[in-house]
Amino acid sequence: MIGALEIVVLAALAALAVYGVVTTALNRPPDVWTKRAVGVVEALLVVQAAIAALRIFGGVTLPETTTFLIYLVVSVCVLPIATQFATAEPTRWGGTVVAVGAIATAVAVWRLQGLWAAGA
Amino acid sequence: MREPARATSSGPGRVLIAVYGVFALSATARALVQIATKFDEAPLAYLLSALAGVVYILATIGLNGRGPGARKLAWAAVGFELVGVLVVGTLTLLDAADFPDDTVWSVYGRGYGFVPLVLPFIGLWWLRHTRAR
Repeated sequence: MIGALEIVVLAALAALAVYGVVTTALNRPPDVWTKRAVGVVEALLVVQAAIAALRIFGGVTLPETTTFLIYLVVSVCVLPIATQFATAEPTRWGGTVVAVGAIATAVAVWRLQGLWAAGA
Repeated sequence: MREPARATSSGPGRVLIAVYGVFALSATARALVQIATKFDEAPLAYLLSALAGVVYILATIGLNGRGPGARKLAWAAVGFELVGVLVVGTLTLLDAADFPDDTVWSVYGRGYGFVPLVLPFIGLWWLRHTRAR
């Protein structure tokens, strides 16, 4: 899709997932750093989605445009919802909830890359 | 003394609900796209995808809710999910021809890292673990 950005996004999501699991292992609820990390990763996801959407509506055609756009929306929406849910009850398990959201988002980004490559 | 039920949405239950939510979203979205764009290719598989999506949605709602009604819904949905993944998993192993396209439950959820097979067992265990006793 946007090669370099995609790798940065996947690395950031992996790091976020590890950090979430670590806070659970250390018996700590999600802290301010979790929220900051989510904010940074989410910003990257929004940039990626905006670039991809601009290119789609700018004329790039894919075999499965609808599926691609759904994954694009999912890639942006899951992490904020997961973080909201994770911090609603401040227990040690919040970090793992964030990690689940990060992994699901990573799968969506992975699928986006596959769908984009199929059209290139 | 009788110990009251613990909320299924507390502690590690929140991780379980997050995973169920992810599957509710992915199974439903996938089924809707399949039904909207290529329903004629494999109607049975796509209807099954949609059914799986609904079951995941109900399980998520049941586990996230509080009270006996939500707990009953969770038991029913997670129980159905277990039967679904076992039946569909076995059928797809025996006869792939009837299932020309993958669903979440095909070959015990192989396309999803076998999470669909493990999830209902954890769900049932969690419902049992948090029940009144």
